[in-house]
Amino acid sequence: MKASPYWILALLIAVCFTLAVTLGLRFGDPAEHPQSNNAFKLLFGEGQKLFANQFYVMADVYFHSGYYPSVFDKQEGQSDVLGAVHGKSDNDEDTTNVDFFGAPTDWINRFGSHFRVNQHTHLDQGAEAQEILPWLKLAADTNPQMIQTYTVAAYWLRKSVRNPKEAEAFLREGLRNNPGNCEILLELGRLYNEDYHDVVRARNVWTVALQRWQAQNDDAKKDNKWLCDEISVNLAYLEESAGNWQQAIRYLEIAKPVSPTPDAIQKQIDEAKRKVTSDK
Amino acid sequence: MNTIRALSGVVIKELYRRKDFYVLFILTALITLVAGMHRFFNDPNIVRYIKDLCMLLVWVSALVIAIATTARQIPVERENRTIFPLLAKPVTRWQMVLGKFMGSWLATGVALLVFYIFFGIATGSREEASKWPVYFQAFWLQWVMLSVVIAITLLGSVVFSAPSANVTICFIVIAGILFFGGHLNVIALRNAEPVQSVIYTIYYLIPHLEWFDLRDRLVHGWGGVSWLDCGLATLYAMAYAWLFLLLTWLVFRRKSL
Amino acid sequence: MGAILQTENLCVEYRTRGLRLEIKPALKELNLSVCAGEVFGFLGPNGAGKTTAINVLLGFIPPTSGAAYLFGIDVRRPIARQRIGYLPEMTYYYKFLTAEELLRFYARVFGLSRLEADKRIDQLLKLVELEHARQRLIKTYSKGMQQRIGLAQALINDPDLLILDEPTSGLDPLGRMKVREIIQRLKNEGKTVFFSSHELGEVETVCDRVAIINQGGLKTVGRVGDLMAQHGANLEKVFLDIIGYQPQSVT
Repeated sequence: MKASPYWILALLIAVCFTLAVTLGLRFGDPAEHPQSNNAFKLLFGEGQKLFANQFYVMADVYFHSGYYPSVFDKQEGQSDVLGAVHGKSDNDEDTTNVDFFGAPTDWINRFGSHFRVNQHTHLDQGAEAQEILPWLKLAADTNPQMIQTYTVAAYWLRKSVRNPKEAEAFLREGLRNNPGNCEILLELGRLYNEDYHDVVRARNVWTVALQRWQAQNDDAKKDNKWLCDEISVNLAYLEESAGNWQQAIRYLEIAKPVSPTPDAIQKQIDEAKRKVTSDK
Repeated sequence: MNTIRALSGVVIKELYRRKDFYVLFILTALITLVAGMHRFFNDPNIVRYIKDLCMLLVWVSALVIAIATTARQIPVERENRTIFPLLAKPVTRWQMVLGKFMGSWLATGVALLVFYIFFGIATGSREEASKWPVYFQAFWLQWVMLSVVIAITLLGSVVFSAPSANVTICFIVIAGILFFGGHLNVIALRNAEPVQSVIYTIYYLIPHLEWFDLRDRLVHGWGGVSWLDCGLATLYAMAYAWLFLLLTWLVFRRKSL
Repeated sequence: MGAILQTENLCVEYRTRGLRLEIKPALKELNLSVCAGEVFGFLGPNGAGKTTAINVLLGFIPPTSGAAYLFGIDVRRPIARQRIGYLPEMTYYYKFLTAEELLRFYARVFGLSRLEADKRIDQLLKLVELEHARQRLIKTYSKGMQQRIGLAQALINDPDLLILDEPTSGLDPLGRMKVREIIQRLKNEGKTVFFSSHELGEVETVCDRVAIINQGGLKTVGRVGDLMAQHGANLEKVFLDIIGYQPQSVT
């Protein structure tokens, strides 16, 4: 009896599949296989990190509601991400006065500017900051080691969307992907302190963060002195609020060598010492 | 005019009897709906990324429909020899060029309208207020931009022998104009002569299709452009479309069938 | 009555592409004249220049020299084609249209009103026996059906001159008979028919006059009966004699 070609084809497919699975299990290294359910990682491997950078920039574009320079418009010295994603510019007025494009150079440029978004705004001026979140989430998914995606997203989730639960969940996801990361711990501490008003947890998290920072090698410490400053100052404030002046002084003394304003820190130390003396 | 209308009618019928438009529309709708079902941080109010994604798909689909439909018009008529019974009638080659252009443009316009209606429904369900003037301007300017794209493709269809070559080249040229056209003056400044002059010449000669992209305004909730600017941009596009159509006719009338 | 179709010293040359520029003459000083109301056969072996001559008459290619006129109008002007119908040898029509849509499209090209077009379409579909298939897409049609819709589109404007290029090519005997009947009917209505064909039998039956060309040049033109009497043979023998065919002896 002649075998139908379709049966032969089906048999061959089954044999090939079985062989592939068997050989893969026997000789393959599981570590080589992407375990992720992330489509980008499956398709692009390490190349997905390029997308992460682009998604992060998109978050910035959204923060500026589409008013954003292209690669060609960027002026000298201007970074890729224009620093307003965290919304922490000290002088918001000045930031929104910045013109990304400069004066038009010819009639084509001039007429074309009528069609693009030509008003510099930040989303934090309304209740729409959540619009940047999908891009930060995508950036985090494609590059879980991109720390600022977690901290920036958490900031906006807390401040604008007023959803500290989601912020905490996202920060914890960041910690799972980057165990013991000081920046994420710092942001988590802020969340406990400012949103949950849970001083105990905030103190614990910041203490761990400080320990982690101090455990780094000297080169790493040089790159992120500001972290030590922030953590120590926050801990000092907590201790001051609780009336633990000695502890507060200890933390301020840790902050002083790494602070950009050591004089201000010294003043706080002196103030705390006076408080200790007066208590006695 | 009867002849041009008749020719356009045939092109429109061809578009809605082929599968291309339906495939692209279903793909756009599916991707948008799947993206829309996803909740980032459990927040149902996040809407701009869906609008952005949907508009990107609309733009890509519209370009695919415009270029693919137009690229095959004249070459397939010649290949299938349907051009002979057509030109045996009192039809001039200019009427044929114009008829194919109008048909492709109207067909693309109908497809674009369907996409925008879908976009309006998909985003209107999440948005508090519709901004119909900017929607209309975005649709109108994109449609007018596609007239230039179609005219360029029609020119390509009488210059290049294979529709596939024409489609590829047109996509590259149009994408190049959309991404880099507005920045050629900056690129020129970064180069020395004579490259600078060449780039500047290209900058002033090409149709600046990037003007017609109002996606950022639509996505980020800005208002529309002034109606005067809209009108001037329309005239600009019409001028370029007519220029390319004239070039098409000049090439086509010398071409053997 | 003046000639409906006329060529004066019509020459067409093709330049061949290649390393050496060669000029190939497709038509050499062709002088033809077709009067109103006659059925004119245009004969010749393959490559004789028949299709080239028809292409010039229809304005598809410009003549290298000489002139061609339809109803006294230079063929390069589109208005010359207002009163003609053309059936190409290869019948290709828009496959995504139905027969009715195709005819309506061509009717619009000729500027027929909706009412006129409807009436004409009904008449023609009945004439070519495609009423039952009028709403079907042309891509579902057989070769014979496509040939018939071709004939219908050639007649949509009720032309005074019909140019047919191998009208019975690919048709079965029944189809050929129907085409002959249509040609006869058109002749009875006073229409002029100009057609090229290899079917000498049917040319002999329907044509009033024939012209025979070979290698781009006109060899003879005259009434069918006169040519047959002159050569004392049927039209096929006349044709072979004129083109200079010498049968090879079988040993």
